[in-house]
Amino acid sequence: MKTSINLRFLLALAAALAAGYALYASWHWPFRTALFPRVIGVPLLGLALFEMALSAFSSEKKPEGHAVDFALTTEVDPTLAHRRTLAIFTWTLGFLVLILLTGFPLAVPLFVFLYLKVVGREGWGLTLLLTAISWLFMEGLFNRLLHLPFPQGWLFSLFGY
Amino acid sequence: MFDAFIQGLLIIFEWQTFLVMLLGIFLGFWVGLLPGLGGSTTLALMLPFIYKMTPVEAFAFLLGMHSVVATTGDITSVLFGVPGEGTTAATILDGHAMAKKGSAGRALGAALMSSLVGALIGALALALSIPVVRPLVLTFGSPELFMLAIVGIAFISSLSGQGGRALLRGFLAGLLGILFAMVGEDPQAGIQRFTFGQLYLWGGLDLVPVLVGLFAIPEIVDLAVRGTSIAGELPEGKLGKGVWEGVKDTFRHFWLTVRCSLIGTFIGIIPGLGGGVAQWISYGHAVQSARSAEERSGFGKGDVRGVLGPGAANNSKEGGALIPTIAFGVPGSSAMAILLGAFFLQGIMPGPDMLDKYLILTFSMVWTLVVANIITVAASLLFLNQLAKLTLIRGSILIPFILFLAFIGSYTSNNHLGDLIVFLFFGLLGYLMVRCHWPRAPLVLGFVLGKIAENNFYISTIRYGTSWLRRPVVLILMILTLVVIGYPFIRSRKRAVAAGAVT
Amino acid sequence: MSLLWTRTRILPFVIFVLPWVILGFMSPSPSHGASYYEGKMVTIVVGYKPGGGYDRYARLLAKHLPKYLPGSPVVVIQNMPGGGSIIAANHIYAVAKPDGLTIGTFNNALVIAQLIKHEGAKFDITKFAWIGSVASDASVLAVRSELPYKSTDELRKAKEPVILGATGVADTSYIFPQFLKEFAGFNFKMVTGYSSSSDIMLAIERKEVDGRAGSYASLLPFIERGLVRPLIRSRVSAPGIEKLPIDENLATDAKGKAIMAVRTAPTLIYRPFVASPGTPAETMKMLRDAFARATRDKELLAEAEKAKMPIDYFGAEESLKVIHAVLNQTPEMVQEITKYMQFGE
Repeated sequence: MKTSINLRFLLALAAALAAGYALYASWHWPFRTALFPRVIGVPLLGLALFEMALSAFSSEKKPEGHAVDFALTTEVDPTLAHRRTLAIFTWTLGFLVLILLTGFPLAVPLFVFLYLKVVGREGWGLTLLLTAISWLFMEGLFNRLLHLPFPQGWLFSLFGY
Repeated sequence: MFDAFIQGLLIIFEWQTFLVMLLGIFLGFWVGLLPGLGGSTTLALMLPFIYKMTPVEAFAFLLGMHSVVATTGDITSVLFGVPGEGTTAATILDGHAMAKKGSAGRALGAALMSSLVGALIGALALALSIPVVRPLVLTFGSPELFMLAIVGIAFISSLSGQGGRALLRGFLAGLLGILFAMVGEDPQAGIQRFTFGQLYLWGGLDLVPVLVGLFAIPEIVDLAVRGTSIAGELPEGKLGKGVWEGVKDTFRHFWLTVRCSLIGTFIGIIPGLGGGVAQWISYGHAVQSARSAEERSGFGKGDVRGVLGPGAANNSKEGGALIPTIAFGVPGSSAMAILLGAFFLQGIMPGPDMLDKYLILTFSMVWTLVVANIITVAASLLFLNQLAKLTLIRGSILIPFILFLAFIGSYTSNNHLGDLIVFLFFGLLGYLMVRCHWPRAPLVLGFVLGKIAENNFYISTIRYGTSWLRRPVVLILMILTLVVIGYPFIRSRKRAVAAGAVT
Repeated sequence: MSLLWTRTRILPFVIFVLPWVILGFMSPSPSHGASYYEGKMVTIVVGYKPGGGYDRYARLLAKHLPKYLPGSPVVVIQNMPGGGSIIAANHIYAVAKPDGLTIGTFNNALVIAQLIKHEGAKFDITKFAWIGSVASDASVLAVRSELPYKSTDELRKAKEPVILGATGVADTSYIFPQFLKEFAGFNFKMVTGYSSSSDIMLAIERKEVDGRAGSYASLLPFIERGLVRPLIRSRVSAPGIEKLPIDENLATDAKGKAIMAVRTAPTLIYRPFVASPGTPAETMKMLRDAFARATRDKELLAEAEKAKMPIDYFGAEESLKVIHAVLNQTPEMVQEITKYMQFGE
């Protein structure tokens, strides 16, 4: 039997771990607090282990059954798809980092500018225009009009602003 | 009563009231469209302004704003795959899928028209139920609420998809969803469950960051990978059939739309179920309406019925939610809780008075729902086809903006960094689920219904011991649960038998 | 496929988006002036989401405070919910600058959180620069009017347990009756898990539960409607219920009475407002004056009356007295209190 550790296996493993943790955490809780986590945790653990087994032992060239959900595009060459997926996740995380470092109001136009320039390779005119629009939106609407609390970016705290 | 009915209509056309309603509609349009401007938050922000208005004006403004939010929230869901509101996430599944095939206009038309139908039915229900609402609401106690949550969770079987493996994964997703719902302070003993010492998690996970992450991130990733515009490579380089096709779709599947509106209204009426549920249950019902296994496998990939169902339900629940708010002073949703504040601000005590002293005001609210939605839909239809063209723009230009909307949309839940962490976590989870063919709808269903099920279970057992299991409505709902779970199996059995008979 | 960026595309965008942006920038922006607050913006941080009680009081004040602050600054609200308002309190304590431009309002029960040494509370509530509290609140136990219990004695003698609904074990709706059960011998059965106090009211109408305890202000509409009848109150009173028996007086022993007193004490300063520790004295004087005068402002009082928001101002000194009284307990007492009281969302 061919076994493989693939993504489906890992996801099921994650679910099993979550269930396991829930059961572990509920050990010392009073009855009522623990009931539902246990009632959910046990079948979750069981089904997750089952799914882990199925994922490990079958290669599922064609997805078994169909989920009521969209399927990621298959039209793009897998290596390219892989690279682009990694890229977009990195950029998304980078956005978070930018928000932490410079605060939300600055991070947004910065991110728009960087993404458009680096990934989109757009011309200067369009890039600057869209950056300006995003800045206007962020500053005008969310900051000035709605006064949402945006924590200061770490960079600014560091330099004692 | 009849002349109060007519009076209620005439009164909103008095020019001040009408103007103020238009203003509300304009604001509501944008609030629904933009993730980050939550309908409830903005309602609360508007409260101080209504102090100077008369009651009719005040409610025309607030309701005008609020009733429109669910309609336009569908627009961002369809176009970008980012839920404009917590209640419009279900529209993403098929609506955005249609956009990716170039039929954004059609999806928008369907979403909007079904929203209008839903709103009208919700308003109609509100008007009709005014005499009978009290016994109706009073029948649904905690045991019934618990069973309703179970019925909702049972829809997981319909939302999982075809085949045993899909069902397995659907249940996995559903159970995970329920587990996520338990994060936070436990009302029975005050113990913090799964909060890892984080103050932010005390109140549990907020719906909006979870939904935005779960649905927007996978779509963004997919868009980045494809490297094209949202609409992708189109034959002839033209968008598919436009808005009018979508409008016609609403009437092609009229009874489905009506049924989903009724589901939404009903869920709205029962205080305690919350707005997030209605769209998913109607979506599940729309999936059930598919006549064959192949049709069912079209859901999630661009079946217009997947847009009609939630589109109708999340508007009709507004009319429904007004009912307990007006009749009992008990809000049917969190937005209604804020509206209630408006009642008090105006010095009005909701309750039996609304059906008596303030009957005209009540009817004016019904009419506001109707008129506001008609105006919104009519105005939107004019430029929806233009909006659909946004799906032709290069993905690399749209992505930073979509990400911006997703980030800010999650952040305004609690104005806390935790919102962004939750958003990213569920984004990753959503992506993995899509990659591994785990359906996401059951997770949402479990998440939304988990606490309702647990809390009402304990209330029922503490209060009634075991006698609640024998209550008539509870028994009916138990049977309904079995029907809902078994429905896909019964359907395929019937077809197999029919096919067998034919051969 | 090239971007279709024609003129007709930009125009509708401009018409629809630009007004918002302009509106945003039209919000008052800094200018320079002689008085301290001129051209500045004061932020009130509310520890709860929009729409709730603390939020409404903050917004009411935000509307009228500029009249009484020298320089008439703009006063805006920021919602920072989470941790039962501990997040907001922590923010005012440690993050906000002590320049009088940031004010906070949070759950009055945070003093109890500090008393029982709750792990999340990273502040010392006595060190805030106190402005005061704009309202006090009475806790009341009310039962369905049709029930045969018309007095506390009848309630106490009830043969069937009286079923009371609550949201969670850290909430007044649970603690107030629970204390009566523990320390005064009432036959109550507590049912927790309701998502909000309005849901409990609905449950009362449905006869699922017999009553609830809670803030008098929130119960008043239902009392006036005749759904429920108030029977017992806490020591802090409110107009209309002065004649009701006080929970502390019903306690059967001194310890019970003391614990009830500790629970009730913070409700005297139900809607506290503070500034960051270390805010200079002159600034604090301006803030305290402004609050004191705003709560006497005729328009504010009229709006509050209309919205059924009682106003009852306690200045900084009195508020701090209450705080110190609560915190001033023997270690044994603290242990006992920790056994019975929890702090939560």
